[in-house]
Amino acid sequence: MGAKLILDHVNKSFGDTNTLNDISFEVKAGEFVAVVGPSGSGKSTFLSIAGALLTPSSGRVLVGGEDLSYLSEKERHRIRLEKIGFIFQTSNLIPYLTVRDQLLLIAELSGEQTAGEKKADELLEQLGLSHRTGHYPEKLSGGERQRVAIARAWMNDPDILLADEPTASLDLKRGRDVVEMIADGVKRRNKAAIMVTHDERMLDVCDRIVRIEDGKIR
Amino acid sequence: MFLAIREMKYAKLRYTLIGLIMVLVAWLVLFVTGLANGLASDNAAVIQKMDADYFVLQEEADNRLNRSELSAGQVDAIGGEPFGVRMMTIEHTGKVDVTVFSMNPESEIMPRIVEGKSGVVADQSLQMTIGDQFTDSITREVMTVTGLTEGQSFSHTPAIFVTEGPVSAVAVQSKSIHVDGVELLTKKEALQSIPGYKEEQGSLMMMIVFLFMIAAIVLAVFFYVMTIQKMHQFGVLKAIGTHSIYLARTIIYQVIIISIVSLLISVALVYGIAFVLPVDLPFYLTPSLTAGTSLLFLAVSVLGSLLSLYKVTKVDALDAMGGSF
Repeated sequence: MGAKLILDHVNKSFGDTNTLNDISFEVKAGEFVAVVGPSGSGKSTFLSIAGALLTPSSGRVLVGGEDLSYLSEKERHRIRLEKIGFIFQTSNLIPYLTVRDQLLLIAELSGEQTAGEKKADELLEQLGLSHRTGHYPEKLSGGERQRVAIARAWMNDPDILLADEPTASLDLKRGRDVVEMIADGVKRRNKAAIMVTHDERMLDVCDRIVRIEDGKIR
Repeated sequence: MFLAIREMKYAKLRYTLIGLIMVLVAWLVLFVTGLANGLASDNAAVIQKMDADYFVLQEEADNRLNRSELSAGQVDAIGGEPFGVRMMTIEHTGKVDVTVFSMNPESEIMPRIVEGKSGVVADQSLQMTIGDQFTDSITREVMTVTGLTEGQSFSHTPAIFVTEGPVSAVAVQSKSIHVDGVELLTKKEALQSIPGYKEEQGSLMMMIVFLFMIAAIVLAVFFYVMTIQKMHQFGVLKAIGTHSIYLARTIIYQVIIISIVSLLISVALVYGIAFVLPVDLPFYLTPSLTAGTSLLFLAVSVLGSLLSLYKVTKVDALDAMGGSF
């Protein structure tokens, strides 16, 4: 398998400030990349562009072989739904959905309700959440919530998983569990993942570390 | 529906409370509508139900049926169906005010007799039976009821139909009348000039309009505040691939579910209360009026959610990202 994500000479500026400066970067299938850097370095912008949440000012972004440059807002929604899995820092989950419904929502959005149920149950089992399927997020621990977010991110079999500080609210052991589960999923499915983090203790789980400073890859 | 139902199930209290407000407002809307309709009927049923498009009155009558007097010559020149209107106090079991209409019992404007035959036809609301006698309290003339009719009243008094009397007005189907000293009114104008009709209907209509506005604004505020609270959540939903239209539909489904459930409860309540209302309270709600009012209520409620829909489309999927840029 080739590259799951390619950023080709990507620039992003907000007004006069160049947040990202000529970034070229690629993630292969089965690869788990950590992106580190001081705050304000542009790592969140980097992740947003990779996740089709932002469009670059110039340069090309390809996810799973599809060029995002010329896509409409509606098509970028589809890309996010089908090709990208997101794990956010906190309050990832929808408060009024049970653990199982968090996953089924993705199936509902992509119109695959029937296949979704089986898949959701499998994913919850893999991530050790089978006993929690009927619980609401408020009843879960921080680690469990992030595991649900991981399960949800894998629901649509995305090409790439993007995680924004997934361990920010967790202690070391639980944080490590979460990162290991992401790594495990990447290898098992031969997909790719990018994790933005400032937690240096997690980096050994990743295959590659990319450092962003002042909008450039060092 | 997926999100709409689950959210309502989760936040039962919140949605029950807003539903309760809607039940009360819808109930009041239906009740006041029934009252307006009942009062209109109480005040003008005879004219409302009369099979005529126009009425010809004496020019000096100031559009008031019971003030109008037409001469035999004028009646002949006009054509159509002449009838007389006069107020009377009668003595039966006690003193009662009635409106006496005089008209040819064979004519098209004569209401349907539900029991008995023409002669002296009393409305059922007078609670007389055929053969009952009553006295005109001024002339002391005694009359015997020969027939009964249903739902006929005028100026908040029951109607009695007799065969002879002075002519007040002529009911006609066409508006081309060329007679001196008379005035032509449409049915609507004739209704509006019944004393109190305009004022009653106007003030009740104003109440109904206000209630509709209150319903729309209450729902608008409720969903707007909820939407603002959920901006981050909508951001997450959008980031994972939920389209704005899907989120907007979720809100509309919720508004429709709340409105329909509230309306069903209100309709049940309003028909329930109609049973226990005193009979002489003019409350009259037909199924079609209920359905029409309910539909309008639903439409107004959906209209109230538009503000939130606009807000939802403005949510940026980037809100889901915790970090700064």
